[in-house]
Amino acid sequence: MSEAGSMQPAERRLSLLVTVLAFALPVLFVLVPLAIFLGYSFFSVDQGTIVYGLSLGNYVRFFTDPIFLPVFWNTIVLCVSVAIICILLAYPAAYFLTTLKGRWRYALLMLLLVPLLMSYVIKIYAIRSILGLNGFLNKALVAVGILQQPSTLFVFNMNAILLTLTLLLIPFAILPIFLSLERIPQVLLRASDDLGASGLQTFLRITLPLSLPGVASAASFVFVLAIGDFLTPQMVGGISGFTFGRILYSQFGTAYNWPFGAALSVALAVVVIAAILVGERFGRNRGTSI
Amino acid sequence: MSALPRLSTILLAAITTLVAVLLYSPLFVPIVSSFFTISHGDVDWSSPTVSTYVALVQNHDILAALRTTLIVGACTVVLSVVSGTLLALYYHGRRSGRSVLQFIIFLPFLMPPIISGLALLIFFREIHLERSLLTVIIGHTVFVLAIVYRTVLTRLQSMSRTLVEASYDLGATGWQTFWRIILPNLSSAMVGGAILAFALSFDETMITILVTGTQSTLPVRLWAMMRLGFSPDINALVALILMFTVLLCVLAARFLIPRQVATERT
Repeated sequence: MSEAGSMQPAERRLSLLVTVLAFALPVLFVLVPLAIFLGYSFFSVDQGTIVYGLSLGNYVRFFTDPIFLPVFWNTIVLCVSVAIICILLAYPAAYFLTTLKGRWRYALLMLLLVPLLMSYVIKIYAIRSILGLNGFLNKALVAVGILQQPSTLFVFNMNAILLTLTLLLIPFAILPIFLSLERIPQVLLRASDDLGASGLQTFLRITLPLSLPGVASAASFVFVLAIGDFLTPQMVGGISGFTFGRILYSQFGTAYNWPFGAALSVALAVVVIAAILVGERFGRNRGTSI
Repeated sequence: MSALPRLSTILLAAITTLVAVLLYSPLFVPIVSSFFTISHGDVDWSSPTVSTYVALVQNHDILAALRTTLIVGACTVVLSVVSGTLLALYYHGRRSGRSVLQFIIFLPFLMPPIISGLALLIFFREIHLERSLLTVIIGHTVFVLAIVYRTVLTRLQSMSRTLVEASYDLGATGWQTFWRIILPNLSSAMVGGAILAFALSFDETMITILVTGTQSTLPVRLWAMMRLGFSPDINALVALILMFTVLLCVLAARFLIPRQVATERT
């Protein structure tokens, strides 16, 4: 603690050690690896060995090869869709929670957040078995009469990735939306009611605009988590469900091209940083403090 | 919001129920199949069994992975709580350079795990550190550090400065003040942070897959087994893990919430 005016030598040495550690730890284990990673994106691979010569070749390949940009774009579209579906499901649920009183509100919130703690890998596996040909979803759709026979529409393709990511990430959308809805001062709603607005008008003119920061945060959370995931597409995507995360991961496995993988990661990082900044920009609460 | 028309309330409740069903259905599959046999998507409800739990105890492969996970979790907790607390103490009340370093600490938590994991993978290769449990522990610590740091810093900021000032006024040295005043006040935040860190480490998969050596943690082991399909005893393990994590969650809530309410009251 810096306010200790008269420090003994032992304390001063400790304080110096803490200072060094406080700077060294984050720099050594976070900044240095990221810097080396960025540096790698300018290297290349020749017959299985990494050539430490600087070139823009990896980036040129990313932008000119007909494979990568379309997959990159499709993955972004996929993850935006996941974010939109998550919000469409999470918003009504979060809104319903705020209509509840006291203890029930938080008990139900906990109930909707607890699935986050459950093993990610196991959830992917379970969802795959639900979506599969013999899975519960097909059984239910056949039973209701929507499908004549079980369909392979829901597994080992892009739909499967979309559905699985949505199921996995809904809680990340519920929490920020709930928090922004809860922060809306009740007086505003009562004032609107007093001035003769209908429930719908109050919702559209007061509640919805004031909860948009939460929606923005939720969208950015879900998008970032979805686009970085390489396990889900690998597990439920099959051959046709090829996402950017999978291509990136394969550069460090079967394709064995670390420098190119690093360049792909830089592209991913740019999108992620943009998403975080957008979420941050629109996620700020304005005018809700009274 | 009390003036909500009845119809919309029913609609909202229905959507909330749907969301809950969607969230919980993936959890029920392994739990149900830990007690009942499932063949071709049909559950045989007639004969509940605990044989999967018996089989689990004999599955040395899985138990070894579980042990590895616990070792990694324990080391991660110790490292992240010590360094997270030191960092929080250091940055608390200091303006210069704090926001930049704080941002660096948060980077691995904000970035997709694949980026953090790959950066560490290349880093370990460049410093010639063989992939092993040590690299996994470093990876986990870097990942969870932000959470412990944030938890402890929040407590520090809510701690009344008068406590520290009173301690100095009464003639205590900086060292005494730290041990007798600051640390005891931080302890519950540190325990809460430790539980969160353990829970995150326990389930961390993506970074671990990238930086692990021959010994794999439980999620990585499960991931490897998944391509072939699970044996029923995995379901028993999953059911147990679910109970365990819910317990952890309740514990974390106990350590983190009541104290904050208490400090608000004073």
